[in-house]
Amino acid sequence: MALSLTVNGDKRTIEVDPDTPLLWVIRDELGLKGTKFGCGAGLCGACTVHLDGQPVRSCSTPLEIVQGRSVTTIEGLATDAGLHPLQKAWVEHGVPQCGYCQSGQIMSAAHLLANNPTPLREDIVAALSGNLCRCGTYSRIIAAVESAAVDGASESTRDGA
Amino acid sequence: MAMNRRDFLKVSAGSSGSLVLALSLPGCASVKTGFEEKDGRWRPDAWLELTTDNEVYFTLARVEMGQGTYTGLTTLVAEELEVAPSAIKPTFAPVASEYRNPLYKLQLTGGSTSLATSWEPLRQAGAEARELLILAAARVWEVNHRECTAFEGKVLHPNGADSLAYGKLVGLAASEEVRHDIALKPREQWRYIGKDRGRLDALAKSTGAASYGIDTDLPGMVYAVVSRPPRHGARVRSFNRDEVKSLPGVLDVIDIERRVAVVAGKYWLARKAQAELKIDWDNSEALNLSTGDVFAHYHQAADDDDGEQERSDGDVSEAVGSADRVLVANYEQPYLAHATLEPMNATAWYRDNGMEVWAPTQAPDLARIAAARVSDLSPDDITINTTFLGGGFGRRLVQDYIEEAAAVAYRVKKPVKVIWSREEDTRHDLFRPAMLHRMKASISGSEVTSWQHRVIGPQILDWYVRNAAPAQYPWSPKFLYDTLGKIGLMAEGIATPKDFSAIEGAVDYPYKLANVEVRHTHTDPGVPITWWRSVGYSHNGFAAETFMDELAHETGKDPYRFRRDLIQHQPRHLAVLDKVADMANWQAGAPSGRARGLALFQSFGTFVAQVVEASIENGEIRVHQVWCAVDCGQVVNPDIVRDQIEGGIIFGLTAAVYGEITLENGEVQQSNFHDYLLMRNYQVPEVAIRIIDSAEPPTGVGEPGVPPVLPALGNALFALTGKRQRTLPLRVT
Repeated sequence: MALSLTVNGDKRTIEVDPDTPLLWVIRDELGLKGTKFGCGAGLCGACTVHLDGQPVRSCSTPLEIVQGRSVTTIEGLATDAGLHPLQKAWVEHGVPQCGYCQSGQIMSAAHLLANNPTPLREDIVAALSGNLCRCGTYSRIIAAVESAAVDGASESTRDGA
Repeated sequence: MAMNRRDFLKVSAGSSGSLVLALSLPGCASVKTGFEEKDGRWRPDAWLELTTDNEVYFTLARVEMGQGTYTGLTTLVAEELEVAPSAIKPTFAPVASEYRNPLYKLQLTGGSTSLATSWEPLRQAGAEARELLILAAARVWEVNHRECTAFEGKVLHPNGADSLAYGKLVGLAASEEVRHDIALKPREQWRYIGKDRGRLDALAKSTGAASYGIDTDLPGMVYAVVSRPPRHGARVRSFNRDEVKSLPGVLDVIDIERRVAVVAGKYWLARKAQAELKIDWDNSEALNLSTGDVFAHYHQAADDDDGEQERSDGDVSEAVGSADRVLVANYEQPYLAHATLEPMNATAWYRDNGMEVWAPTQAPDLARIAAARVSDLSPDDITINTTFLGGGFGRRLVQDYIEEAAAVAYRVKKPVKVIWSREEDTRHDLFRPAMLHRMKASISGSEVTSWQHRVIGPQILDWYVRNAAPAQYPWSPKFLYDTLGKIGLMAEGIATPKDFSAIEGAVDYPYKLANVEVRHTHTDPGVPITWWRSVGYSHNGFAAETFMDELAHETGKDPYRFRRDLIQHQPRHLAVLDKVADMANWQAGAPSGRARGLALFQSFGTFVAQVVEASIENGEIRVHQVWCAVDCGQVVNPDIVRDQIEGGIIFGLTAAVYGEITLENGEVQQSNFHDYLLMRNYQVPEVAIRIIDSAEPPTGVGEPGVPPVLPALGNALFALTGKRQRTLPLRVT
């Protein structure tokens, strides 16, 4: 099939077997390796990307629902202004150990903050409980999201003033 | 060679001859050292490379799988070289004898040994390079080198005003020679060691830029998926090659040893075709056990054979004979999978009579042997490129996935990437062995008078020597590989070194009792096994520290006071035990509805005490809080120590609450994260960690957080329910 989609702001058209899950299009056709394969069944969250702003497990996302829509991957999170506040917080808190799950963790957290700039701890835990981390970095993930939310909130206060 | 200011300018201008020296070490030294004038690169040793552009590269010989070598080992060399760790670029080491782990005589990362074995050599390497740079600068300035100092990539002139950047000095430093002893910096002068600093790989791992094995991309690369026998030991009788080969995108269907590989231009087309693959397996020699058979086998073996005596203090028989009471308990612990989040994968390219492999591996020199086995190449013709590892935990010490990729690449003569599905990764793991423990203790009055620990189960080296033995002798002819493996000829010609994998953590029972016996009945049911984060310590720790709790209960003593009274002679054990009791305010006890358990355990040279507070909520075990005191000697990066210990706690709790691989007629029953569960964010307890300040040599932290948390949780559940659980995983009772 001819798949047309927007990836991190760029319009792309790709010829691909229609049964291919979105993950393998992102990784092997578009060459964006930051999105990871972990389980192939939507159980671990390593492959999380945004589809029109909503988090999806790309390993289990069929291409027909992607047609004509917009995908954001970890590579598309930073802007010309620099790293996403979550990425800065991830570095400051030394979150990653092996790091393999972290793209998915950050994409899940980015969706949370986009919709809830001042989440409670329970909100963070709920939003991220679909993302497995075998190294056990969970408490640092929570701390990093909390600090990114605080930074984001103070920035928007400044912007408003 | 004397060199003055004029010569310095000549070398700096690049007009003199090249000074490349071969490092002469006995054996097979393979890292070229010296100054390469045309590239402006100076390698003072196997570890460092400095350029005329002021770049500093550090060859990282212990792989980065999350445990922090990338940051920790770089910090060691940075401290003495006087360059900030963040200004150094670590690169993953190729296979070379210089990069072997001195404890194993193999180039492998495991056993929580990276920091301990690098502590002296890497600081020494940094110090020697720094000294050569200082000597070079002193010669240029015509001053006494002892009056020069180094600071942040520069040598400083005694006049306090002038300085020379390392990049200006590399050509000259290459011809200097250190003739005096170099004292390593004293502790109070450290700028980087022992300080909370970030991880050097955190940025790349937060932007998607870090490259793991699975991210390898090569021109013209194809993909392979591999069908492996559902029952270990089965052989391929026949399969529908022609039918599958005609499917869209399929390039070839290949019979490799006991497996069938489907090769396609796209990963998903290989997977789709694999679904149509029908293999007739010959199961005549295949594993046919179920989990219940394994433990029945162990009990029978224990009844038949007392096993080897591994430790004997005093006279346990006499103590048992004269005791008031004897307490006996059996502990059964299951097979456990590694479940690295990056599934097994490897990429191989066979061309021009050589092979190149890109893989997340904990043992690149074993990977070379694995690739040599399945091709017409010798290890010297094979290059292993190690990547970041998406978790290791011991799984990637075994090179089966690299052997597969090499076997396919040898046949297809194209770059080929083999990716395992999660289901394949779980079912074809090599597991933490299931083990049986028979514990026995005698009690007279309120005193424990003897301790007997019998460990029943396999040894891991039996499964590991196949590639490990040839890797120690990479020059040996390939027809000898299996012989070397079979006779276990390891460690420089000594027959197989003592395999402690079954008894580690049992033989080193630390408590002061006059009569102690540890025995091992060596029996192997044939289920594939390997190292797993803390290995033997994980099962021996659960048995020993749970049984200690049983003895405290039986003698009517508080679990903390009971241990404390018996550990007075071991100051480092005692210090972490007292520290954790203080942190948790042990005397105060748990709030209503919750209970606490405690464990004290040493592994990999590191002392750890933990208190777990747990309850049962909505029919599930709920861990609320873990307090942990750790003594790992000198700390290089406190932040990484805390994250490794906390990660170990989560890893151990996951095993305690969920971990279980079961077999049914030889087939593994679990497949993915719906039936091999990992702890999730909402289940994670508060974790408080205190590190004992110590100037003792550093020991490992990747594994020691794991063992005590299993018994500590079990002991908490006993305090909560009054029912003792001696089988893992723990259940709600």
